Amino acid sequence: MTLAIINGSPRGQQSNSKILTEHFLTGYRSQNTLRNVEIAYLKGKDQFQESLKVFSQSEQVIIIFPLYTDCMPAMVKEFFEHLPPNTGEKKKDLGFIVQSGFPEAIHSVYVERYLKKFTQRLGYNYLGTVIKGGVEGIQVMPASMTRKLFANFRSMGEYFALNGSFSETIKAKLQGPLRMSKAQQVGFKIAGLTGLPNFYWNNNLKKHGAYQRRNDKPFAAE
Amino acid sequence: MQITILNGDPNPGENDLARFTSFIPEATGANNEIRYFPLADMQIKHCTGCWTCWWKTPGLCIWKDDADAIFEAVINSDLVVFASPVTAGFTSSLLKRIQDRLIVLIHPYIELVQGECHHRKRYDSYPDFALLLNTTPEEETDAEDIEIITDIYKRLAINFHCKLRHVWITDTQKQKEIPHDISYH
Repeated sequence: MTLAIINGSPRGQQSNSKILTEHFLTGYRSQNTLRNVEIAYLKGKDQFQESLKVFSQSEQVIIIFPLYTDCMPAMVKEFFEHLPPNTGEKKKDLGFIVQSGFPEAIHSVYVERYLKKFTQRLGYNYLGTVIKGGVEGIQVMPASMTRKLFANFRSMGEYFALNGSFSETIKAKLQGPLRMSKAQQVGFKIAGLTGLPNFYWNNNLKKHGAYQRRNDKPFAAE
Repeated sequence: MQITILNGDPNPGENDLARFTSFIPEATGANNEIRYFPLADMQIKHCTGCWTCWWKTPGLCIWKDDADAIFEAVINSDLVVFASPVTAGFTSSLLKRIQDRLIVLIHPYIELVQGECHHRKRYDSYPDFALLLNTTPEEETDAEDIEIITDIYKRLAINFHCKLRHVWITDTQKQKEIPHDISYH
């Protein structure tokens, strides 16, 4: 059995998808040292072709990508357009990890439905889709804020190494509730008065000397 | 009113999608200003998620390609038509490429919309959306695919502070229904 993880982030090597993949692999390798895992990136001209090759040569493939405009990024869609339908007797396993900046899962369940249908369209075996929100900013968060997230990805990797599939329990933990509770919404509104939810954006706007221009409308008609 | 048509057909030519998009200007009357963008003939790079448009040059993309003309047309339109063949169960990657770049038109700040986190407006007003789909290129395409695509564009519309008003299917829809729909817009 060969496993491949294809990273569909347009940020490539700098992506949050890569960080999550590394934690998944740490867990995976702690349980399975024999099986080689191929890692491929869609970003870059040659990498796209390489990813297609890796896809066709692997019996299990996990595609990880960030949510872009409520769906997969254009380069992931382009990759999908090039994937061959199942022809072999044994069906390839295909699973997905969708991560996004939005805290709630509701944003990603629509593309999840697409991914399931797409896998069936090609005649592959659908392993499911792991959804994780609140991922934007993990590269600058203090370790205390990402500890649980990374631990869950390591556990998922361990489970996958032992079972060849995603754990439904860990999947549910990572996904969290579809929407914020009423109490959380009130909390969010109060936090909004202090500017806390936009701290990450303001911090970066200021760092780049662009805070005063943050509301610019360069394409508005005169 | 102003209508922007984004034609995401990678193989434009004599087909249903071309027929329908070419029909929109002549059928909707002289009062409408149509901006037509054949994406296959344009230079549109992938969004790289660099956030330049959100925190370095607010509202402006790092790429200087043909997308600027589209941003200007889209934000000043009343209706944007996303036109595409359905391939691999979704709109084309060519169309998705400009769609990903449209985040330049919204603000990074998050606010609650219908109890969910969504991005705040950058501009005062936003165009509504329409989908024009050609389902004939792949015979596997079925009604559920159209439902999935429609639902995802409805989600996109929430982030763009607008509504998905129309879903037109070229092989079942009569061309004359389009101007009728638009005139009731």
